[in-house]
Amino acid sequence: MSAVTETPREQTRARYPDEEGYVERDGVRVFYEVYGDAPTTFLLFPTGPISHSRLWKAQIPYLSRYFRVVVFDPRGNGRSDRPGTAKAYSRWEFVEDGRAAIEAAGAETALVGGLCHGGGSALMLAARYPAIALGVFAIAPFVPMLAPSHENYLQFPFDEELDTEEGWAKCNSHYWRRDYPGFLEFFFSHQLPEPHSTKQLEDCVEWGLAGDVDANVLSAVEASRPWASEKDARALCKRVRCPVLVAHGDLDGCQPRQEAEAVAELTGGSLVTLEGAGHLPQARHPVKVNGLMKEFADSVVPPEPKVRRWTRGLSRRKRALFICSPIGLGHAQRDVAIARELRQLVPDLEIDWLAQDPVTKVLEVEGERIHPMSAELANESGHMESESAEHDLHCFQAWRRMDEILVANFMVFHDVAREENYDLWIGDEAWELDYYLHENPEEKRAAYAWLTDFVGWLPMPDGGEREAFLTADYNAEMIEHIARYPRVRDRAIYVGNPDDVVGESFGPELPLIRDWTEQHFDFAGYVSGFDPAAFADREKLRHELGYRPDEQVCIVTVGGSGVGGHLLRRVVDAFPDAKELVPDLRMIVVAGPRIDSAAFPEQDGLEVRAYVHNLYRHLAACDLAVVQGGLTTSMELTANRRPFLYFPLRHHFEQNFHVRHRLGRYGAGRAMDFETATPAGIAQAIAEEIGRDVDYAPVETDGAAKAAARIAELL
Amino acid sequence: MSILEARREQTRARYPDEEGYVERDGVRVFWERYGDGPTTLLLFPTSPISHSRLWKAQIPFLARHHRVLAFDPRGNGRSDRPTDAAAYGSWEFVEDGRAVLEAGGAERAILVGLCDGGGWALMLASRHPATALGVVAIAPFVPYLTPGHPNYTRYPFDEPLDSGEGWAKYNIHYWRRDFRGFLEFFFSQQLPEPHSTKQIEDCVEWGLGTDPETLALADDEAPLPWSSKEEARALCEGVSCPVLVMHGELDQCQPRERAEAVAALTRGTLVTLEGAGHLPQARHPVKVNLLIRDFVASLERRTP
Repeated sequence: MSAVTETPREQTRARYPDEEGYVERDGVRVFYEVYGDAPTTFLLFPTGPISHSRLWKAQIPYLSRYFRVVVFDPRGNGRSDRPGTAKAYSRWEFVEDGRAAIEAAGAETALVGGLCHGGGSALMLAARYPAIALGVFAIAPFVPMLAPSHENYLQFPFDEELDTEEGWAKCNSHYWRRDYPGFLEFFFSHQLPEPHSTKQLEDCVEWGLAGDVDANVLSAVEASRPWASEKDARALCKRVRCPVLVAHGDLDGCQPRQEAEAVAELTGGSLVTLEGAGHLPQARHPVKVNGLMKEFADSVVPPEPKVRRWTRGLSRRKRALFICSPIGLGHAQRDVAIARELRQLVPDLEIDWLAQDPVTKVLEVEGERIHPMSAELANESGHMESESAEHDLHCFQAWRRMDEILVANFMVFHDVAREENYDLWIGDEAWELDYYLHENPEEKRAAYAWLTDFVGWLPMPDGGEREAFLTADYNAEMIEHIARYPRVRDRAIYVGNPDDVVGESFGPELPLIRDWTEQHFDFAGYVSGFDPAAFADREKLRHELGYRPDEQVCIVTVGGSGVGGHLLRRVVDAFPDAKELVPDLRMIVVAGPRIDSAAFPEQDGLEVRAYVHNLYRHLAACDLAVVQGGLTTSMELTANRRPFLYFPLRHHFEQNFHVRHRLGRYGAGRAMDFETATPAGIAQAIAEEIGRDVDYAPVETDGAAKAAARIAELL
Repeated sequence: MSILEARREQTRARYPDEEGYVERDGVRVFWERYGDGPTTLLLFPTSPISHSRLWKAQIPFLARHHRVLAFDPRGNGRSDRPTDAAAYGSWEFVEDGRAVLEAGGAERAILVGLCDGGGWALMLASRHPATALGVVAIAPFVPYLTPGHPNYTRYPFDEPLDSGEGWAKYNIHYWRRDFRGFLEFFFSQQLPEPHSTKQIEDCVEWGLGTDPETLALADDEAPLPWSSKEEARALCEGVSCPVLVMHGELDQCQPRERAEAVAALTRGTLVTLEGAGHLPQARHPVKVNLLIRDFVASLERRTP
């Protein structure tokens, strides 16, 4: 695993600061951010220079809905200065930076939270400034000399030259000078002992590498002590007057349990032990930590009284909450179809939707009720677009890099689910819901139905061993989740048939995807958002849409995002050749809202449109379509028995493997490789395919009804 | 049909750890203590129409963590039945509560009450702020704060009526004729939730622990603690501790506006119980227990 130390650009955040700036003390500038503007301030201390404020990325979007959250980068990392003297890194300097950040944010008092060094800083601030600190939330706090150091640190001397660099011998000033990245990878893999922590580990190493402080200074920081004895440390804790909550993972490889216990005892605080958790629960167990932080904050600063309602069980209407993934519009159409069938079966059912753009556009047209908390959801489709390049979307990595957004959106769901009593949650590829319910099974408080049209992360060949390892690791975690908590998913519905499932295995020593899926899913068949029978009279449809019988109509469409611009350009380049081969060719290029249609010059027989209303009707009427490899559009074409060329996005494992496999089963479409397809080759393919009679396997039309029937059993 | 035959008391889930009497002006009031946790909860009774068993679904749960004090009101249970109306003035019940608190060894408590008892809890918190850590008031009765429930103004209480149907049973002459019939009617109205037979039987049984004359003294003849809306509002505004108000939207005894006014004037939280009647502590004990638990926990965290 060598690739973990590359530093990519920062992934999309779930929420960006409302204010940012620098505080300056003794010439050292410290960068801070403020999120939200609630009356109560919550300062989150960084750790030492080994990390920076992104450490709290899973907390900020949630907490800032209730508090004004202030974070800052420590001296020596992030956007703060890197002073060159060890003195500038003494523990009290971080504490005073925190106080300055509170002041800069315009607050007089604050709840203060911190992890490790930062937990110690929070306690120090509360001890020195009792009038500022309302409460301390300390995760695995490091209070020097309060307890013997963790045994990991006692194995080797920190400052002496060692003849080994194995294991904890890497926690050594000489080793740091030789290979700080190697130390970070070792260190954080021990601080995240929970299996399946690859993303958190990559994050921590990346943040560690952002701190480019001289190793000599770092070493001095490590060795510095703000006081001289255990007695002083105990006296500091006893000076803390405000409420304290200490959280500590029992697998913590950095701060020992006795230290957390001592802090709780001396401050009169509560201790929450997190079993099976390591040193970084805020990253690995964000839902639990967020809940503890909110609960603690509410106990210290009770929220404004409000009017609440509880409805007696037998007086409740039946209600379902539909959580519909915004990645790809197809979910919206099929989910609306399922909801319609569900209402047929359960007439008094009330359905709310937790959804975001572009799903909400479809829901609004359909007159569905969008839950107002939907407005709090962080934008997933925008993130996916930001991760894409020329006809290229590495969707597995893009999805991994959406982890902050997924936690933030789960917390929105969490708050809705706690406030309102739904009988049923339906998640269509609602990854955040499925993942965090299995991670926090105590949060399940309604029946839950899971829908997906693919199972199994698959590596792209050029991702090498690392990607094969990662996809297998994610698959393994999912398999373990389902095995350990079969009660979480009350229904698991595969949108398709068993043969649509790929034949690959989940990874080395893992089951075959098809076998496992057949054991753990019901199969609804394909669910389309429309009835192909409505388009049976193609001549009439063509007439309505203004297509002449003698025209050979080719629709080129790449969805609503900007990812498809390169494909459009290439197909437009192929137009002159194609027109020569197919003289009656009329090509309609749908550019979508994000691609400038003026960039494509009009030619005789070529029209470029920014938007086509009811595109699916045009696709049903055309003689050929040229599309990407997304499931919904290609299956619509299959159901309508239209010939089409499809270009799977590069590095998009779902389009390259899952969709392709399914289309192959239907004998539908001609797969094209964007990498190798020349304009002449595309023209040739257009000429061969256009107007061709197809012999696709038929697509069922009762998928929505079948899915709804299985779901309705839960009501 | 008689839904009731007086029986020996059914087995309790928990028996008191201590019991005794407090005596004020010659009137003895029976109290019980359950548990001995650091936080004390004082459970007020209602008017003499019931007694401390009213809280039977709360006591075993709350007593696992707290010191719970409950007492029988003057006029029911094991408390005395004075024969003059003045002995049933609201402040007498309030001061009985304070005396029980003292006898139970607590200086401060979270005060919990239903209907009249909810009003008494607020009165105690207003008059003796140092005593009250918080108030839980279920469907509180605070006279004059808002108009009463229309059920009580349909018929005069004192005059002989032609009818004995419906709310015409809320009449002293009817009580003298068929007190049990009144209780059965009254509590079936207060438990509008289907499938409430056991709760109705309980309430009727506890109601039979008093008699028409005593209940009339307390409910009709005893002096009200004040005589204007302004005084009622001032009382609520005088409550400085946190307040939790619960109110069932099908309540046939206390109107919703009254619960809303109490919450607004005390800056408290109002929890509306949809589909619930006047006696949620009996009919929806799990929800009420958890609401009380959460409220107590929020207060305990506030006072480290």
